[in-house]
Amino acid sequence: MNQPPYAGSPGGLGPTSPGGGGTPPPRQPAASMAVYKRELRREIRRRALEPEINFLNITAMLDMMTIILVFLLKSMSAQTASIPQSSDLTIPKSILTTEASQQGVAVLVSKSWIVVDDNQVVPVPGDPTHGVEGRYKRGGPNDLYITELASRLQNWRDRDKQVRASTGKDPSGSEAIIIADKDTPYRLLVEVLFTLGQTEFNKFHLMVLQGSKK
Amino acid sequence: MERLSAYQRSKIRRLSQPKELAPDEEGGELNIVPFLDIITNVMMFVLATITVTFTATIDSFPPRAGGSSARPPTTPTLGLTILVVPEGFSVKARGGNVAPGCDDVAPGLAVGKTGNEYDFAKLTACVQKLKASSPDFKDETSVTISGNPNIPYQTIISTIDAVRSVPDPSGKDVELFPDVSFGVAR
Repeated sequence: MNQPPYAGSPGGLGPTSPGGGGTPPPRQPAASMAVYKRELRREIRRRALEPEINFLNITAMLDMMTIILVFLLKSMSAQTASIPQSSDLTIPKSILTTEASQQGVAVLVSKSWIVVDDNQVVPVPGDPTHGVEGRYKRGGPNDLYITELASRLQNWRDRDKQVRASTGKDPSGSEAIIIADKDTPYRLLVEVLFTLGQTEFNKFHLMVLQGSKK
Repeated sequence: MERLSAYQRSKIRRLSQPKELAPDEEGGELNIVPFLDIITNVMMFVLATITVTFTATIDSFPPRAGGSSARPPTTPTLGLTILVVPEGFSVKARGGNVAPGCDDVAPGLAVGKTGNEYDFAKLTACVQKLKASSPDFKDETSVTISGNPNIPYQTIISTIDAVRSVPDPSGKDVELFPDVSFGVAR
């Protein structure tokens, strides 16, 4: 122990000097309260623990996780369908595994409606083997040109033409994404594609689900 | 200088011992461990129940009008056209109808149905054979697909898949006819 030599033992000898004797050392007088308190403060300061990190610091990990999550969601949203699959619209499957194109006007052909940019345009009849009803077409039941659809597409095309001209893209044609039900008859599909072609849409992206060959 | 007595020194030693903090008094930190537990559980359930569907798009173009060039092409072209009918596939190439079995030019369905199903594997073999029939067709990649009015869209997509590419022995896809146009049946 770090004890000072006893005042009563000359030469710094311990309480039992050689030769025995057995006389107890004289009691050391207590220091004053001021000295005691100063020593106590000094000792507390000396022994104080270094501030240590005694909790798990996960802030950096959370930052990293958030960034990874954002990238993951962003890359997933580019490839995944935000189209509700229902009995009215079931997209066909394909073995194609390329990335889906997001360019162009979305033309949706469900079992009940043809929809352009979330607006219902033309109803699909119960038996669409011969396309939409004749009254929605320019020249009657045998025509392929759907008037209502063409007028909606023309509005979209006019806007897209201006955007393309101002952004330096080729304004001669626009693109369209075709989202059609897997049971859509070929005749109805051709009517939609024909109408798109007539309204200066020169590239079609047929949306399919990535999957095994059916 | 005054010296401390043994009693005072021992008391100083005792009082200056650093105090151990209880786990709930540590520095007033927000304890987010239970929160993280909940989030992890919720995320696991969400990921287990979510159904992610990956989409792809098949690019197509409106049919090009023929006869734009003043001179006829100097090399023969295949001009592959596939007509999907309820009984199978009728294939036209080099201006003629491909015979059943995909060997000759004759009327009839080139690839009929097997049982009640369309035989897409036979169609792939047929178009592969047609493409390999002459070196002039090596670079030809366009096909025109047409169908009866009642053919469902899924059959058309599967037909496009069948003629797009074929895996070679090493497992790599070899392109056959990836550029699809749709024929307008009047």
